[in-house]
Amino acid sequence: MGIRITGIGIVSAIGMSAEENLLSLKAGKSGIGPVRYLDEPRELLVGEVKASNEELIRSLQISNRNISRTSLLGLAAARQAWGTTRHRSDLKSGIISSTSVGGMDRSEVFYREYLDEGKPDYRLLLSHDSGNTTERIASELGITGYINTLSTACSSGVNAIMLGARLLQQGKLDRVLVGGTDALTRFTIGGFRSLMIYDDAWCRPFDESRTGLNLGEGAGFLLLESEKSIAQSGNETLCYVNGWANAADAYHQTASSPDGKGATMAIQKAINMSGIGLSDISYVNAHGTGTKNNDLSESVALKNVFGENIPAFSSTKPYTGHTLAAAGAIESIFSVMAIRNNLIYPNLNFSNPIEETGLMPVTSLITDRQVNAVLSNSFGFGGNNSSIIFSNFN
Amino acid sequence: MSFITTYCHITDRNCYLNGKLVASFDPGSSDSWLKQLYKFNNVTYPKFYKMDTLSQCGYLASEFIKASNPDRFTSYADDRIAMVFANRCSSAESDIRFQNSYEVLQTPSPAMFVYTLPNIVIGEIAIANKWYGENMFAVLPKFAPDFFINYAEILFSSGSEAVLAGWLDVTEVKVNAFVILLEKNTGGIKSNIVNLTELIEEAFT
Amino acid sequence: MDNLKEELKKHIIEQLNLEDVRVEDIADSDLLFDQSGLGLDSIDALELIVLLEKFYGIQVTKPEEGKEAFRSIETMAQYIRKRKTAV
Repeated sequence: MGIRITGIGIVSAIGMSAEENLLSLKAGKSGIGPVRYLDEPRELLVGEVKASNEELIRSLQISNRNISRTSLLGLAAARQAWGTTRHRSDLKSGIISSTSVGGMDRSEVFYREYLDEGKPDYRLLLSHDSGNTTERIASELGITGYINTLSTACSSGVNAIMLGARLLQQGKLDRVLVGGTDALTRFTIGGFRSLMIYDDAWCRPFDESRTGLNLGEGAGFLLLESEKSIAQSGNETLCYVNGWANAADAYHQTASSPDGKGATMAIQKAINMSGIGLSDISYVNAHGTGTKNNDLSESVALKNVFGENIPAFSSTKPYTGHTLAAAGAIESIFSVMAIRNNLIYPNLNFSNPIEETGLMPVTSLITDRQVNAVLSNSFGFGGNNSSIIFSNFN
Repeated sequence: MSFITTYCHITDRNCYLNGKLVASFDPGSSDSWLKQLYKFNNVTYPKFYKMDTLSQCGYLASEFIKASNPDRFTSYADDRIAMVFANRCSSAESDIRFQNSYEVLQTPSPAMFVYTLPNIVIGEIAIANKWYGENMFAVLPKFAPDFFINYAEILFSSGSEAVLAGWLDVTEVKVNAFVILLEKNTGGIKSNIVNLTELIEEAFT
Repeated sequence: MDNLKEELKKHIIEQLNLEDVRVEDIADSDLLFDQSGLGLDSIDALELIVLLEKFYGIQVTKPEEGKEAFRSIETMAQYIRKRKTAV
């Protein structure tokens, strides 16, 4: 039995709504460019959401302005996904949001004020906590039941969907908003640069010449509903979540194993759970960060599972940048839209396959194929690997 | 049916296994409290020294639980041992250290950045044991027995056979870690919200 | 005794938190990234790059460049001397 998805919402570098994101995906238009909004003096390529905090606060009509960018982005996406669904006291509602940086964007402002021996605004710190990010979103949406914040690095978004789906399956909730959000910060840029996996040029997932990722920011949320909830809300079922799995790679704090063990297990188990045959997977939305290590390990994992018959695959990170905890949710929504619109997105910036594996991603938009089932991968630091399957059948 | 078969509680000064005191802070030692515990355990794992305090503490608790019954985990396939941890302040302490490395020292430290994610502690335990099971880290306002019990139920119903779960409220100055091992069909304390709440109340008071 | 090598060992022990290792435990030819030597990993390699910049003002921009240089204390010292005289 698949879990029903009845709402989607995204803000990312390529658009402020799911529709805008879809237009950019179809047009092959990347949202990555030089820093414009973040206070970062270096000339870096980043996938920023094209709106200042001020603009977001205004468009979201928020009265309590003490709010992090991470919450603002999350709220924008969560509102879209929740749509016009009405709260009902006889239905158990929840929100599971994931984040890796929480309110770090504002803690950075605080920290600089503090170092400058001026008078730092201590209220800025109230939004630092990762849990606060979710609580702000929940309170703005009026969700008071189950509120949970997950933090498992770059697989967080998919883990939130997994947990939500399971809580529906077990009848613990009737409807749940699931997803992730992360704002761009100097903290993460500095961190990935210190690991020497930040590409100063455009990221090139699955390309032999790849040298690293470009960071992005954004948020993605999906509304999952039980049939009981749908009977009340009248929301249309957009797509189904059919399978999911998470596995530890048990190899290294940040690097993926060369044999792709954790990734292989996650993909394999998710497909098994879905009951969908290997040859019926129409498209794989890969994790594909553009780092030497991830893309090789993920390629090996795809070969381990699919052998010579690897489905059409691509990474959409050259569009959005790597949005960390939001990535899994954003890419899940891309997967849902791929099924709804029979689309397979191109892997931008690709020219030559990785020597060791020779895999060729899709390089131009495919529109003439039925897309029934999609696998989306999200692999995080800590060796936290998750895979999830969406389809148009129950 | 699942059971709480072992539990380990590490505080600022003491380490308890199944409610019994096994080690206490030695103020005469020049080692930190967690380093004292590491030496007490008599396991050589040099990576321990590179971990942040959150990872050190989670790792130690897992080692104490293993030591209580060395054969305990050998009967499980390596992908059937799941982990779910939570705390209140995520990786805040490492976040501050890393922020200091780039704002004040001007050299962002990769080794510190690695620990600015709370789930790295799970990665460390997985690496040390070669466990490939499911894993999750949540950030909660306080220890929530229902979260752990419900999550473990989910894990058991999807193939996991043992679940290492726990609360890791750890900073350099304050340690409060409570880690439990949940197993199926073994006997022991029945794993439910009431029993876990009781264990916690006993431990935290 | 080669001062640079001894100094390097001290810095490495400190920078990488190798608490159980003493300067005299590291031979100049020990393979740093091998289990027979110090068993360092890729994060350690990045810290060594930070170390070179911090103490010797040497910038390594490509991680692959570090790979050869960081084989042993011997090769690290050679690399530092070469980069220093090149400036």
